[in-house]
Amino acid sequence: MAEEKKSPAGKPLISGFLKSTQLMELDGCTRCQECMKWCPTFDVRQDRPEITPMYKIAKFRELLGSQYGLRAKLFGPKTFNEDEINRFTEDTYYCTTCGVCGTVCESGINTVELWEAMRPNLVARGNGPYGKQSFFPALLGKDRNPFQAKQEERLCWVPKDATVLESSEIAYFAGCTAAYRQQALAVASVRLMNALDIPFCMLGKDEWCCSSALVRTGQRNIMKEHAVHNVDALKDRGVKTVLYACAGCQRTATIDWPRWYEGYIPYKNIPLSVYLREKIRSGEVEWKRPLNFKVTYHDPCHNGRHLMHVNGRDVAFEAPRDILKSIPGVQFEDMARSREFQRCCGAGGGVKAGIPDLALDCAKARMGDAQLIAADVITSTCPFCRRNIMDGRAAMEGCDVKVLDVVEMMTAAMGLDITIPDNPYMKFQEQDVLVCDEDVCKVETIERKAEGKDLVGEAH
Amino acid sequence: MAFYTLGLTFWIVIALTVVVLGIWIYGLYFNFKKWGMGSTGYQDELRHSFWLFIATWIHEAFKDGIWVFVKTLILDVLLLRRTLRRSPVRWIMHMAMFYGFLTLAALSGLGLFMDIIEHFNLLGLAHQAEMVKGYMELPFDLFGYLLLFGSTIAVLRRFILREVRSRTSAYDVVLLGGVFLITITGFYAEWLRGNSFLIGNAFANPVYAPHFSLLHTILALALFVVILPWSKYMHVIAAPLTILANRGGE
Repeated sequence: MAEEKKSPAGKPLISGFLKSTQLMELDGCTRCQECMKWCPTFDVRQDRPEITPMYKIAKFRELLGSQYGLRAKLFGPKTFNEDEINRFTEDTYYCTTCGVCGTVCESGINTVELWEAMRPNLVARGNGPYGKQSFFPALLGKDRNPFQAKQEERLCWVPKDATVLESSEIAYFAGCTAAYRQQALAVASVRLMNALDIPFCMLGKDEWCCSSALVRTGQRNIMKEHAVHNVDALKDRGVKTVLYACAGCQRTATIDWPRWYEGYIPYKNIPLSVYLREKIRSGEVEWKRPLNFKVTYHDPCHNGRHLMHVNGRDVAFEAPRDILKSIPGVQFEDMARSREFQRCCGAGGGVKAGIPDLALDCAKARMGDAQLIAADVITSTCPFCRRNIMDGRAAMEGCDVKVLDVVEMMTAAMGLDITIPDNPYMKFQEQDVLVCDEDVCKVETIERKAEGKDLVGEAH
Repeated sequence: MAFYTLGLTFWIVIALTVVVLGIWIYGLYFNFKKWGMGSTGYQDELRHSFWLFIATWIHEAFKDGIWVFVKTLILDVLLLRRTLRRSPVRWIMHMAMFYGFLTLAALSGLGLFMDIIEHFNLLGLAHQAEMVKGYMELPFDLFGYLLLFGSTIAVLRRFILREVRSRTSAYDVVLLGGVFLITITGFYAEWLRGNSFLIGNAFANPVYAPHFSLLHTILALALFVVILPWSKYMHVIAAPLTILANRGGE
């Protein structure tokens, strides 16, 4: 059922945000139905074809036609049926903006950008966003992160003996989830860079949420504040390379921040996995123990499909795989759908916050892909994918596939200590972690001990 | 053989053609202007400008340089690479329809031009124009069969594949039905006139030939020209422009 909304009758369907070439794309759809074969949300909602790209494009074109088509020009525009617009809004938000539809589109429609341009129009009209997504602007505007956590405690997880500089040419942008909810990843990243003698800085309380959730859900009002703040903070520290262990942050920093920042951006955005692969290739990495698991890799949409044309396929898809394959003991196998044809975990595009049951069903489908190849561990380079896939597993019966980050796998294989120091957010940790003795590692699941104040889950 | 029937004359046909082309050109302008309602950049406001749409499209299409544009034009627009990657059968279907349709449209335009030369004996080339029209019979036949082949696959696909059939809308039916109808009536018109290169005058019928030719011409002009800018046929223009604007797409 469509959410009950106040009727914004009289407001125009589009008030900005859509480029003229995007309006052209609406007429470019040949209705070949290819997108329907790949859409991850339609795959788990087969009774709702209207949520697929082909139907959404047709509907939006019809709505636009009723206002700006030939008939409207001759006889005047039709009055909107607000129920119809609310249904269309729901259909538009039943999408993780994963972009597989754009990858397979015969007309080459850039669908991610199209959905992300439609949504702010629906928000401006009063129809969007959807469900709890509406909390994002208030949360980020007040706390600068989606967890209502203190910015001053962003680095509370850094081990006392770790070296994090005040300023450096290399920066590690941890992201909100690693800083407050999956600290094992943040600790592993810092340990790894220290062990490899990579001098780096972090922004600490100056690291604000990347604001991915705002862009994805069409709520762009405070986006600029966050983009400008983060870019300026990195520039102030003289950074030339920013490393990300979060796909969502990396996508937003690479594609979205420059659209809001008016000055020159002097640094490069690089996935941590790419930087680490170079260290392996140059022989600087010494493996201490094998990880005897059958491992697969889930490509996050945000640093895979979304960035493959920016950074190239090798950076987008191969670096994490190369790392996993070089870890002793790892038996690597890809799932049936991988790289640019990967199946989205279901969390992106605001779906995790707005339509959690849909996110969960997508995650179960992805976990099913891992079970088909009998994987012990499904890895990723996105804390948000990890969160959702773990939730999917919890909702399945008898599934014991573990979910880890590539960085944590590498850290454990190098014999580094990834114990999280005691901090105020320990009780909110919920993740699979590698627990190792001298030669053997096993994966354990840390259960969350307190509910925390996660109004919207996590934010990408 | 007489072509004009039911009181139509050369002048009326020319006048109708001009009107139809005028509607077609206005239709394209109307669509470009509708698209031009959008902005020129990510945070820009709505523009409502035909020319700014053209400028935005050029900016997007050439963003990565002329060679990327040319490569996209050849591989993705002319050779339909993206379709081939997804489905070889659909690629064959689309290629047959795309080139059949485009070539027949071009030949029809050339035929009309030759008619005009012949009618007015421009530069004293009436005889040569008639000869050119004779040479056009074979390509008309071949590309007609190509279009028929492609549209037959398209229609069969909608009938045979259950998933495709269940999602076929009136929108698709009008498009495919139209193409199929025009192709079939085109063949009948040619056979009845005895102009078919491959069949010769085996089915020639001077009584019904003009009526069928007229029917085919009206259908072709109505569906391909008058309706094109206002229907799903618009993808014939919008899809290649989209591929070029997105430099080949994702």
